[in-house]
Amino acid sequence: MNNGGGDGGSQQRELPGKRKLFRGSDFAFSIARMAVAQICESVEVNSYQESQTREAVRFSSFHESALEALTDVAVQYIQSIGKTAHLYANIAGRVDGNSLDIVQALEDLGSGLGFAGFSDADHCLADSGVLKDIIHYTGEAEEMPFVYSLPRFPFSKEKKPAPSFSEVGPEPPDEHIPIWLPAFPKTKLCDRSEETNAATIEGEIPRKENGSSLPSMQHSFDGGRLDIHTSPKDVRESPKAVVEGNPFLTAPLRIVEKNVSPVVRPLEISNEVVRTNHVADKHMSNNHHIPVLEASASSDKINNMNWLAESEDGEKEDVARKQRTLVRFKIGTTKRSTCLAKSRSFQEEGWFQENEDKREKKSEIKEKRERIDSQLSTQM
Amino acid sequence: MNHGQQSGEAKHEDDAALTEFLASLMDYTPTVYFPFIPDDLVEHYLAKSGFQCPDVRLIRLVAVATQKFVADVASDALQHCKARPAPVVKDKKQQKDKRLILTMEDLSKALREYGVNVKHPEYFADSPSTGMDPATRDE
Repeated sequence: MNNGGGDGGSQQRELPGKRKLFRGSDFAFSIARMAVAQICESVEVNSYQESQTREAVRFSSFHESALEALTDVAVQYIQSIGKTAHLYANIAGRVDGNSLDIVQALEDLGSGLGFAGFSDADHCLADSGVLKDIIHYTGEAEEMPFVYSLPRFPFSKEKKPAPSFSEVGPEPPDEHIPIWLPAFPKTKLCDRSEETNAATIEGEIPRKENGSSLPSMQHSFDGGRLDIHTSPKDVRESPKAVVEGNPFLTAPLRIVEKNVSPVVRPLEISNEVVRTNHVADKHMSNNHHIPVLEASASSDKINNMNWLAESEDGEKEDVARKQRTLVRFKIGTTKRSTCLAKSRSFQEEGWFQENEDKREKKSEIKEKRERIDSQLSTQM
Repeated sequence: MNHGQQSGEAKHEDDAALTEFLASLMDYTPTVYFPFIPDDLVEHYLAKSGFQCPDVRLIRLVAVATQKFVADVASDALQHCKARPAPVVKDKKQQKDKRLILTMEDLSKALREYGVNVKHPEYFADSPSTGMDPATRDE
């Protein structure tokens, strides 16, 4: 069945198992282990010594692997009861389970060992031997002392159904929305006003769960139909907590130039140079890549150049494309038909540079052209 | 007719026993720690296997049934443990102070009667050739 828990309960095995393999670290499993340990502790066997004294012998400790194995068996027992009872309910054409379904399931599970009255063909289910055994056990087990019993765990159900429109407000916002649908989550505008309320409500929830959690769980189990009167705060609380951190509900980004930290271009080339009808080469930088397309007046040429530029850029430097590319069209008098990619910093140096720098740039350009060509050759 | 009436009455009595028992289950408030298995836990596992019921008494019934099952297995294991001949080394000091520990051996023997086969490996090895003679190992 299992290879003995030990330390392997918390490790993940590679078998594509029929059952969950994280059972060692499962929260429900650890609670079940505590419950099973408690049951084992309370089991006692009476033995009669030579001195005719009745001695009750109990377990004093367990091996951890044995406890995990027994817990696993108990969990599977519960699950098989549920499965069989569900099967019997479905056979009878019902969805919800019945007490008789459970009795039938118990009979199925107990048929291995057998119980009183099983051989009768038409015995009443309510009078089943299984039930009698259970009643007998209940009567016996009650007499044992409950000294070492642990406090009840608040087993909180994670999923809480979202409140429907009828629960949240008087009317849904639009006419076409029926009231039984879940309500819209609140936007940030509403959250701010209710943040203070949320803080106080959160403090109340653990106290509520520590108390009688059963009725609230039962109501939430009903699929939200009866959610109105039991803990509406709890139900409203969960969507709020989700909404505050919901990235899908933030305001959309406007298409505006962001103030990005200025990128230092290694190549000091400005558009001004191109404007003055110089040969515009393919100037590409390695680090930052904001290609600026210099296009001539005609539109189809622009399109061609765009496409060429993008294809060439895409071939060589794909990583840089992920940055924002700023495409600026400039109507100039360039005669070059090939694409012209320019590197340009985000800083608005302006299309109009001072004329004094022009002459300096001209000499620089020639040097840099050679550098760029060598870079391109190395890249390719 | 009489027989039918009698069986009808008998059925009522049987139902009464069941309903009484179910009602008595609900008397156990959280202050009294019975059954040992929390209701939420049982409900979680029942829901996992598809059983759905809004009635709490049925959940308690399943909890009590599981508790009875585990207690039966544990008592069988305890009897196996007790039945093992105790290694009494010193008769004077030890007065049957045997501490009973639930081990995998006893548990597997007890579970075998219930149709559950549990096998515990004796030891875990790093590789198939661990502990073998170094001469016979392939290195």
